[in-house]
Parts: sequence; structure tokens; C-alpha cells
Amino acid sequence: MTLASVPAAPRKRVRRHMPDYVPWLLISPSVILLLALIAFPLLFALKNSFYFWNLQMGPTPLGFVGFDNYKMALQGGFFLGALWNTILLTVVGTAVEFTLGLMIALLLARQLKGMNVARALLIMPTTIAPIVVGFLFRYMYDPGGGLIPWLLTSVGIPIPAQGLLGSSTTALWAVLFADVWQWTPFFAIVLYAGLLSIPDDILEAARLDRTPPLALLWHIKLPLIKKTALIVVMLRFMQLFNTFDLIVVLTKGGPGSSTRTLGYTLYQAGMVDFNIGLSSAMTWMMVIIVNAIIGLFVFFAFRDWD
Amino acid sequence: MSSFSNFRPTRRGLMKGGTALAGAAALGGLPGRASAQSKTLRVLLAGDPFYYAIEGLKDQFEQESGIKIELEAISLEALQARLTSSFVSNEPDADVISVDQMWLGQYLESKWILPLDPFIKKDKDTDIEDYVPEILYSMNTWRGQVGTLPVASYAQMVFYRKDLMDAKGIKIPEDGSWTWEEYTDIIKQVNGADFDSKKIVGTVVAGQQPAPIVHMYTQLQASKGARWFKDFPAAPKWDFEPTIDSPENLGALKAFVELYKLAPPESIGYNWFDAGMRFAKGDIGMFYWWTAYSYLCKKDGYMSGKDSVVANVMGIVPLPKQPGKDQVVSLGGHSLGIAGNTQKADESWQFIKWATSAKTQKAMGLFNKFGYQFSDFARKSLYADADLLKIYPYLPGQLVALQAGNGKIVRPPAPVYTTLEGIYGLNLNNTLSGAMSPEDCLKQTSSFFTNILKGNFLIPYNQPSFDDTLDATKALIKSLA
Repeated sequence: MTLASVPAAPRKRVRRHMPDYVPWLLISPSVILLLALIAFPLLFALKNSFYFWNLQMGPTPLGFVGFDNYKMALQGGFFLGALWNTILLTVVGTAVEFTLGLMIALLLARQLKGMNVARALLIMPTTIAPIVVGFLFRYMYDPGGGLIPWLLTSVGIPIPAQGLLGSSTTALWAVLFADVWQWTPFFAIVLYAGLLSIPDDILEAARLDRTPPLALLWHIKLPLIKKTALIVVMLRFMQLFNTFDLIVVLTKGGPGSSTRTLGYTLYQAGMVDFNIGLSSAMTWMMVIIVNAIIGLFVFFAFRDWD
Repeated sequence: MSSFSNFRPTRRGLMKGGTALAGAAALGGLPGRASAQSKTLRVLLAGDPFYYAIEGLKDQFEQESGIKIELEAISLEALQARLTSSFVSNEPDADVISVDQMWLGQYLESKWILPLDPFIKKDKDTDIEDYVPEILYSMNTWRGQVGTLPVASYAQMVFYRKDLMDAKGIKIPEDGSWTWEEYTDIIKQVNGADFDSKKIVGTVVAGQQPAPIVHMYTQLQASKGARWFKDFPAAPKWDFEPTIDSPENLGALKAFVELYKLAPPESIGYNWFDAGMRFAKGDIGMFYWWTAYSYLCKKDGYMSGKDSVVANVMGIVPLPKQPGKDQVVSLGGHSLGIAGNTQKADESWQFIKWATSAKTQKAMGLFNKFGYQFSDFARKSLYADADLLKIYPYLPGQLVALQAGNGKIVRPPAPVYTTLEGIYGLNLNNTLSGAMSPEDCLKQTSSFFTNILKGNFLIPYNQPSFDDTLDATKALIKSLA
């Protein structure tokens, strides 16, 4: 028996029309979940910010107080002082870490001997918990035998009698130095990855044109890693704006209120004083400030984003 | 007879077996797990020296009671934050908890802990009359109820280098018959001296804000007769009007600033332990601090087990007085309470009774894993115990200090104490750094206090008051005995 082979009829793909709402329907669970996770705590805090709710006085809110918590935050003096410290720490910290990180990244990209080891070592500070970094630097700043005061005095730089963390003129910079130590490698690694992504032929062409190194950096490398750099600057800016752990371990906001940041002030109001109303108001003020700054940054930095 | 070689597992067979096993495990496991849970207590403590002794002895409790203990220790600040989150969200965290004396009112009134009166009354062997009444008054009672029992109690005393004072021909009174002025003069005499191949610094302060500086300063403040509020807590009608901006307090603050000038400048950032350990290093002449440093300063680090350079040359004497003022000693420490949301109140009480009993407290004092590192007894009987006196010869003086104690005057447990302490600590720290004058510090602190107290409806005070006196506590003890 033979079987005649019959060519199969070509399958006709039926293109069914998908209603417009289906994609929305499909992504709606994730969107709803995401919104709930972001919106619920914020809305809960917004509601609490208009109530007198101090856990030291009672477990539940004691009454509606309108904008009193916002007024208290602004009139108490702590919030504005902390805002100034935070902005100083954030702007200077981000700038220094970016600059140093870029320099290290450029060095790494030169493929010098020992760079593999350097890369492995570089990642280490970033992997240490900030609280541990705090303890580490507390010992290193100890005026009675710490490494940093010893180094500074050895090279003729005087340190205050109260120590670097004990003087209101140096404490914030000492905190900043610890942060720079920890997070500069993060910039270095990310920017190094950006530099590696620059096509070799562009760099080769520049070299053939005998482009000076600074011009190469300014006109070719930096524009090509701009997107990476902007994103990493934005992330670190937001992280630094919430600086808390280092302050708790190193200075507890002191001496006086010279190192009090918004993050620490918020912690003090919410988790030490248990003034839920006041800390909620502060949270919202922080949300508005950070979003305004980031909004402006995004507007100007990403204008020509394709 | 089947043998292994005949065993041919099929997918269906395996699934059947697996399901049966899982079912059996679930059925058999449930009651087992429930039973294990009911025999396990979660104990959340502050990580102070008493914790290490309890940790070392908990096996005894487990053997005696058959209850397993899951012990955890964290910092006091973290503890407060964690417990508050647990109670506000009604998510049970621990069954037995450390409760600071400043939180007692908040915890009892919010029903976050259970009053212990019924348990004490039921168990006569609690031996409540053995406690130093001043301790129970200062640390454990609120509005006529016992909320916690003390597991470690501290007073404040003066610590000095005996060999230094002997070399300088300075006699330190053993009976407390000296004044703060004399105390400062002695510090001035030894400040800058070369001794034992060290440059001696007169004293040391705990200048870190907020709690350490407030703990140290308020002792001087209370001793010099200054008070926080007009009428609280020993008053038939509470009045929280601040009295902090007073001539007595100004004198005290100026004296404290003078002491800081005779201390290492970096001590402006010292916490409790930093100050104590600085003395243990041997370059400090004399300072006053919590009695826990009687044994902590004998070691060169926290639970290091190694003797410090001052271990055998340390003198401990009562605090100086202010002429014309009654001496008031600060009392502090740690107490245990039963979490309001626990399902194991009886087991929790068993643990508290065990940990605070004279027998266990003595065993904690004799616990020698890190050197002897516990002498913070709240029970009178232990201050006459021959075994303990051999190890801690300063105990009689410590008992006198405890009996002169009034924690409710030195750091009054007002409902918003933590907030007030935050402001006070900040301004005191600013005063030490020179950013603020003592006059401005007290004026500004008083003004902040008024605003905070008014904002929290404590001025005027319209809720029921409670005349909280030591006599009332003594009567309560008697009623529970």
C-alpha cells in the first residue's frame, strides 16, 4: 500500500483583533500593586500629618490639628537646620564622589598592571553596611590614637581639641569623608562600566586625530557616558539625602545640631519621640523637597534624552 | 518476602507516598509545633551587662521550668522603636521585655504591658519586701501599680584613682561628707599631673546628646536642688510648669561646664561607656557615674575579661552634696515586664520571677565568664551576702546610694519625657561646646519645654493626678507582700 503524499494546506494565521483595553487589563494587577505599595504609606502619612498623634501620650490619634504639625516642624528650628546640613552633605558628597569616582574609573580603564586586584578591592567598601562603616570611622577618628588624627597631625594639619567628630566645624565634614570613602567606589565601578561601553573605533579615531587627553575626556568620553553618569548621580543624590546610619553611629546629630540631617531628625521625631503626627508632616515635607529637586534635575538633565 | 531488588518505584506510587507522608507530617506536626510554641518564651532585652549573666544562666531556668528561652538583646533605642512598632501594629514580638523606667507610664497606660500586681500577690515567694523601696518607686511603679520588676539597678557614685590621690596626699571622704565645690577643687588639683607615666586629666564627662549628657548632668542638677517641674510626681495635683530656668540650675550648669573644662575635650561626644572606659584607661583622676561602672571599669573593654589598669586602684565613694540641700541620687537600670499582647502571661511571669529572684541575682553576681560583671542588685538581702561582698566589697556604699535615690526627681517620668530629654540634651551639649551660654541654655530649654508641654495638653494638666510618693510605694509593697 502506498500512501500518496498530499501537501498540507498552508496554515492561515487568523489575526484576531484584540480589544484596546486588554493590554491595560493585563498590566493592571502590577500597576495596582505598585500604586498600593507606594501610595498607601504616603497617604497614610499624609492623613497622620494633620492629626495630633504622639505615642508617648496615647496609642491612638488624639485629634485633628490642621497644619499645626507642619508649623511645628518649621518653627522648631530643627527642620530648617537639618535641611541645610542635608543639602550641604548631599551636594558636596555627590560632587566629590562623582569626581573621585570618575578619576578612578579613568585609571581602571587604562588597563594598567594590577587593575584586576584594584577592581576587586574597590568594590569592598560599598559592600560594607553603613553602620559598620560608622563604627570603623569612630575608631579611626578617635583623638586618642585614631589613624586619621594621627595622619593629619603628622602632615602638620591641626585638628580641634575635641576631635574631628567633637567640633561643630569639622564634624559634618568628618561624616562626609566616611561617606566618600564608602561610596566613591560605587561611582568608580559604574562609570568604569560606562567607559568600557564606548566603542573602540571612536577612541581610535580620536587618537589618530591626536586629540589631547582632556579634550578626549570632555568632548568624547563624558558625552558618551552621560546617561550612565546622570542616573548614578541621581541615585546617589537621593541616597545621600536620606543619610541616617552614619549620623547615628558617628555623632547622633551633634555636637549641638551641627550634623543633624533630615533623615536623623525624622528618626528622632518618629522613633525616639514617637510623635507620629510631626514625623509624618516632616516626611511629606521631605517628599516634596526631594521630588522638587529630582524633578528639576530630570527636567534639565534629560531634556535631550532620545 | 520482598527485597530491595524487587523495589520498582513508579511515579504514581511516589506521588501517593509523598502525599501520605506530607499529610502525616502535617497532622502529626501541628500539635507538636503548638506544644513546642507554648513551651517557648521570647525574651527581648537591652544589651547591658545583666543580659550576659542571664544569657549564661538561662539553662537553669529552662531545666527548672521546662520552658525554652529565646533570648535577644539590642540597644535601648532600638528596643523602644521595635517594641513600639510591635504594639502599635498589634504584631506580638516578645513575651518578656526590658522596659526602661521612663517608658513605664506610656506602656502601662497604653496596655502594652500587664500590671504585675496580681502576679506578685498570687506568688508570695516573690518576696517583694526584699526590694529596696526607692528602686521600686523610681523604676517600677506608675500610678500605684507595679508594672515591672528590676533586673539591674544603678545609682550614681564617685570613682577615683586611689593611688593618684594617695600620691597627692588627697583624702577622699568615704561617708559622703563633702561638697561639689570640694569635688571640683580636688579635680583641679590632679588635673595635668604626671602620674604612672600618664598625663592625668582631672575628670571626664559623658557629653553626647541626648541621653548620656542628661543622665550625667541631671545628677548634679538634682543634687544642687534644681527640679524639672513645679509639682510632679509627688503632688496631689500635677503641675508641669517647667522650673528648669532657676538659680539652682544655673549654678549646677556652670559647675558642669567647669567640670567639662577639666575633662578631655573630646568627651563632648562621649556616651555612657566611652566615659567609663576613658576612666578605665587610667588617665582620669575622678568622675561620677552609674554604679555599673564599679565593675565595668575594672575591665579594659566591654566583656573583655581582661583587667584594666585601674582594676586594683579604684576607689568608690558616695556623691558630694550641696550645702543646705537634701542629697538626691539618680537611680536607673533595667526592668522586666510582660508584653500586653503575649499569649503566655503565666510563663512570662515565671521567667520574670526567676530572673529577679535573690537566688538568680546572686548567681548573676557570681557568674564569671567575663570576670565578675554584675553587681546591680535591687534586693536588700544581697547587699549583706558574704559571697558577693568578697567579690564586690563596695556593695554597702552602693546600698546607701540606692537608698538615697529618687529617680522620679532626677529624671521625672513625665509623659513626653523623651522629647524633653532630646531638647535638654541638645542644649546642654551646645553649652559645653560654647555655642550657647548657660543662661541661654536654661532659658531656651524652659521655653521649649513650655511649648512642648502645652502642645501635648500637659499644661494646664486636666487629667487625674496621682500623688506619687515613696510612702505610697512602701504602702503598695506592704499590700502586695
